[in-house]
Amino acid sequence: MLELQNVNITFYKNTVNERRALQNVSLRLEQGDFATVIGSNGAGKSTLMNAISGFYDIDSGRILLDGEDISYQKEYKRARKIGRLFQDPLKGTAPNMTIEENLGLAYTRGARRGITSGIKKRDHGFFVEKLKTLDLGLEDRLKTPVKLLSGGQRQALTLLMATIVTPRLLLLDEHTAALDPKTAGKVLAITEEIVSKNHITTMMITHNIQDALTYGNKTIVMSGGRIVLELSGQERKTMTMERLLELYSSTANDTFSDKMIL
Amino acid sequence: MAMTTIMGALELGLILALMSVGMFISFRILNIPDLTVDGSFTLGSAFAATFAVQGQSGTGVLLAVVAGALAGAVTGLLQTKLKIQPILSGILTMTALYSVNLWVMGNKPNLSFFGKDTLFTPFERFLPELAAKIVPILLLLAIVTILIRLFLGTQLGLSLRATGDNEDMVRASSINSDAMKILGLSLSNAIVSLAGAVMAQYQVYADISGGIGMMVIGLASIIVGQALLGQKGGVTRGFVAAITGAVVYRFILTFALQSGMASNDLKILSAALVVIAISIPEVKKFIQKRRARRHA
Ligand SMILES: Nc1ncnc2c1ncn2[C@@H]1O[C@H](COP(=O)(O)OP(=O)(O)OP(=O)(O)O)[C@@H](O)[C@H]1O
Ligand SMILES: [Mg+2]
Repeated sequence: MLELQNVNITFYKNTVNERRALQNVSLRLEQGDFATVIGSNGAGKSTLMNAISGFYDIDSGRILLDGEDISYQKEYKRARKIGRLFQDPLKGTAPNMTIEENLGLAYTRGARRGITSGIKKRDHGFFVEKLKTLDLGLEDRLKTPVKLLSGGQRQALTLLMATIVTPRLLLLDEHTAALDPKTAGKVLAITEEIVSKNHITTMMITHNIQDALTYGNKTIVMSGGRIVLELSGQERKTMTMERLLELYSSTANDTFSDKMIL
Repeated sequence: MAMTTIMGALELGLILALMSVGMFISFRILNIPDLTVDGSFTLGSAFAATFAVQGQSGTGVLLAVVAGALAGAVTGLLQTKLKIQPILSGILTMTALYSVNLWVMGNKPNLSFFGKDTLFTPFERFLPELAAKIVPILLLLAIVTILIRLFLGTQLGLSLRATGDNEDMVRASSINSDAMKILGLSLSNAIVSLAGAVMAQYQVYADISGGIGMMVIGLASIIVGQALLGQKGGVTRGFVAAITGAVVYRFILTFALQSGMASNDLKILSAALVVIAISIPEVKKFIQKRRARRHA
């Protein structure tokens, strides 16, 4: 369960460039919730995820994960519980290390890393099993340096790495945006499968309105650093793409948030 | 070249190879240009010589390793906790080490312990003269390299490698990248200091300026080795390249000296070698492009 209480982040505070990237953001996701997040460029979606993951320090407010206050925990410590994927496929893997070594590293997430072998014999079969589920033929290329993989393959591998030890929260920041439509569809399908199979609480940022409604059980619309709309249940089911698109595009100007507040 | 000259070049080359193996950890695995090296190499020599004078060579070498690790940790702390640029962090530690090294050597700029027992003494008893130095040096180099290579295959070792490869990914994988950098720099400088200690034991002598230019020599070894063995390949190949490069480098120097080059000119030769080895890929590219253009 993820809970945000009145979280604020302001960049370049007290200068002419002051930018309130998150304004009193409060949010609650239950265990197993899969929320999609939409909003125009600069709405604060990535900042929201970066605040949760600890990449940015928050100015005020509280962030709770399964009841534990992680507001001021170091990024690498939060990473024990939070899996993360970025838009850039290059960010999620170590290019000069092999597929197997990358998986070995991911598999020790949250554990104390000591001087026992990084890739144990008994893990080998497990990695092969997991790679097979991706259906990209990576199971035959365990010794290949990751830099030789395509963007889509790397992103699928990153997804596997982020979830090989089931995280308590999965953050996906436009993780298919850099992929061609076919590969993007495939990575999304794998995402859906892994998330639902393991009941992982998930947030997924996307600019694809159709995806935002198709995947998950909640949709969050952001604008100007605020959450301006939360859709779930019946309201979400009956929401059409056209209607949401209307709301979505009007978030580009701030009148939308005003309307929503009124 | 006389046999003794060849053996001498090989012995010195292998001691430099040990240093290059250490530097490989910071320069290649962590991707950090670490300028602590000149200071930590002398640090090792200083400890080895100071204790050898009292007939305690073993203790001296052990302390050299510990002191080198501490020096590396200082550079790591400056970089990670105080956010000082990697290059500047190394320069600061190196500068401070100059004073430290003088303290260790009792404020003497050089120490000779001719006639005292060294690490080589026990080997001299049962090995022929020609082998008495090269065998222990080779053994030490092999043990250190194998241990480091095994370490890099452990969970901790993988974390260290990933830190140099993709820091974004590392933090997202719950690895404390700061701790990894400190660990890596400690390890690196411990080995560099060990090489300095072995060098002092080998020469039965330590000099406060003995470490000057060592960073460039180590870099030359790593790069020359890579130019010879190719860019590709994993960590093992990198170590083999660094060792090969160091030996080749030393032979080039010996050859230059033999053909009448003044020892004062050695440093400019070292620098030139680095430039040449680094520029080989660029030159190759340039030639290929020209060829392609001509055929177009
Ligand atoms: N590190 C930073 N320093 C200064 N300003 C920042 C920083 N990161 C984000 N911002 C600003 O905060 C605001 C929100 O940015 P954010 O990246 O969260 O938007 P986003 O919703 O993810 O947009 P996009 O859809 O383009 O990815 C923007 O105005 C941006 O310029
Ligand atoms: Mg963004």
